[in-house]
Amino acid sequence: MPALTAVEKILARKSGKAAVRPGDVVSPDPDFIMIHDGVVMGAKRELDALGINRLATPDKVVMVTDHDVIYGSARAAERGAFNRKAAAQWGVKNFFDVGRGGHGHIFPMETGMLLPGMFYFDNDRHATNAGAIGAFGFRMGSEISRVLATGTNWVMVPKTVRLTLKGRLQPGVHARDVGFHFAAMLKQGGLAADLDYRVLEYAGDLEQFDLASRAALCSTPTEIRAYGVFVPPSDAILAHAKAHAKHPFTPVYSDPDARYDADLTLDISRLEPQVSLPGSVENAVDISKVAGTAIDHAFIGSCGSGMWEDMTAAAAILKDRRLAPGVRLFIAPGSEATNRRLATEGLLQVFIDAGAVMLPPGCGPCNDAVIGPVHSGEASISTATNNNAGRFGAKEAKLYLGSPATVAASAVAGKITDARKL
Amino acid sequence: MSTEFQWQLKGRCYKLGHDVWHAGGVVPNRIIVGRHFDAKDIIPHLFEETDPGFHTRCKPGDIIVAGRNFGMGPKMNGYIAMQALGLGLVCESMPFLAYRAAIGCGLRTMTDCVNATEMCETGDELEVDFRNGFFINHTRDIRREYPPIPDTLMEIVELGGNTGWLKQWQANRLAENTK
Repeated sequence: MPALTAVEKILARKSGKAAVRPGDVVSPDPDFIMIHDGVVMGAKRELDALGINRLATPDKVVMVTDHDVIYGSARAAERGAFNRKAAAQWGVKNFFDVGRGGHGHIFPMETGMLLPGMFYFDNDRHATNAGAIGAFGFRMGSEISRVLATGTNWVMVPKTVRLTLKGRLQPGVHARDVGFHFAAMLKQGGLAADLDYRVLEYAGDLEQFDLASRAALCSTPTEIRAYGVFVPPSDAILAHAKAHAKHPFTPVYSDPDARYDADLTLDISRLEPQVSLPGSVENAVDISKVAGTAIDHAFIGSCGSGMWEDMTAAAAILKDRRLAPGVRLFIAPGSEATNRRLATEGLLQVFIDAGAVMLPPGCGPCNDAVIGPVHSGEASISTATNNNAGRFGAKEAKLYLGSPATVAASAVAGKITDARKL
Repeated sequence: MSTEFQWQLKGRCYKLGHDVWHAGGVVPNRIIVGRHFDAKDIIPHLFEETDPGFHTRCKPGDIIVAGRNFGMGPKMNGYIAMQALGLGLVCESMPFLAYRAAIGCGLRTMTDCVNATEMCETGDELEVDFRNGFFINHTRDIRREYPPIPDTLMEIVELGGNTGWLKQWQANRLAENTK
């Protein structure tokens, strides 16, 4: 039996094969199929035009309203109405509409819908978040229509790059900082690997990372073209999965002698909080290099930083403090469950007292600025997935990225600020 | 399925360099952001910024040979035009999403063809068989064997891309149901 990586094992199992190799083309049978609000209309119209009005596996289809939750435009409202009709016509019962679930790349891991060892198709590239719980989500883009019609689609088995993290993060340093630093190291040549269509598999000192931190670890590699991220589930992750599981599951781990396209090591024990300078996640620097830069806009949330622990990290900074004059801070929790918990445990009060604006669970400004955008000439610091020019508003705005604690501290100070020094 | 599909192309080489972006390098960005997906709307703009009038000079069977990292981004507009013009694409490498988009448009495409741009110049007489990866430059008497289109993806290309594949799938299903 050849040695396999975890993702190779998942793809083999779901394709009814004993083993697969990078480059093999398979048609896996997914545990579920996720389609987000923005692409339902295109897929429905495409299939209707072909006379395909029945889905192969409607019970496996999960529709999620997370990209444009509160309809910032008449067009969005029209799309919402269309999507509800589509769900009814297709017979999709797992429809997590406005106020019913939250962010599609977060709540399924919290609720036990997405479990270790699972495979699913998704139209969206941030399906990579599935790696946080030890599963594999595969982006289909507009080809999600073929998955809806036939139940599967072709998948070329990707190569895997292994990144071994060494050491423990210092207090006040966050998993998002690891991703920003890793991207900068690749750009500057401190580490060498091509992530295009690769799975990035983490190894090493991973016990320190809870589910939220693991989602954070999945975020930045996706922006530099990783097609999947995999974090081998720890005992704590397995305990969480068992406690919430809606289905039986079998976790997978790479064989010790599995073959990797590249094998990298990163010492994180002396890592400082990072800030990615405008233009790319790869422009990360130690926060000391950019501290003091004035900001107008701040945002905490996105699939990279929208879980409960991200909210508590922000609340710890915002408690008994007020936002700096002239700064607006938007907070979008990742799920309805987290939103309710913020209310019951008093964090909502902390955020409101600080002067933050609460957004509904979902993508927030990170999806094409459908809500809370920036204006030309403004500076923003956020936990968005990326800071490419125009990611949430005017192309001329300066978009910085940091961890939830860095963003909260900067919003309080009115300038980029190391939370440890507030 | 049609047995007449032409997997073997014989035509002239049109050579491009490394790192050609879809936006600008293949079609102008306005074609992409304007969401033009109809071949007749895109064809006049193929390689417009680097070689205006390309579409009037190319012939069915001509082969585009590109260097490393061809066609950055999951854009399909240029591949739609190439497919409609009857061209083929051979490149040293392309980002996976670009490859997936090209196959999805039904374009005869071979990637990971090491040093392919060193095997030919624009205007050379080429013969490429996308079923088995045979690459022949008749002008320079060079023969190479490159990775062909995987068997499992040939059907998509043969049926003209994802939409053609789905159409056929639906037709087969309806035929099954009426049996």
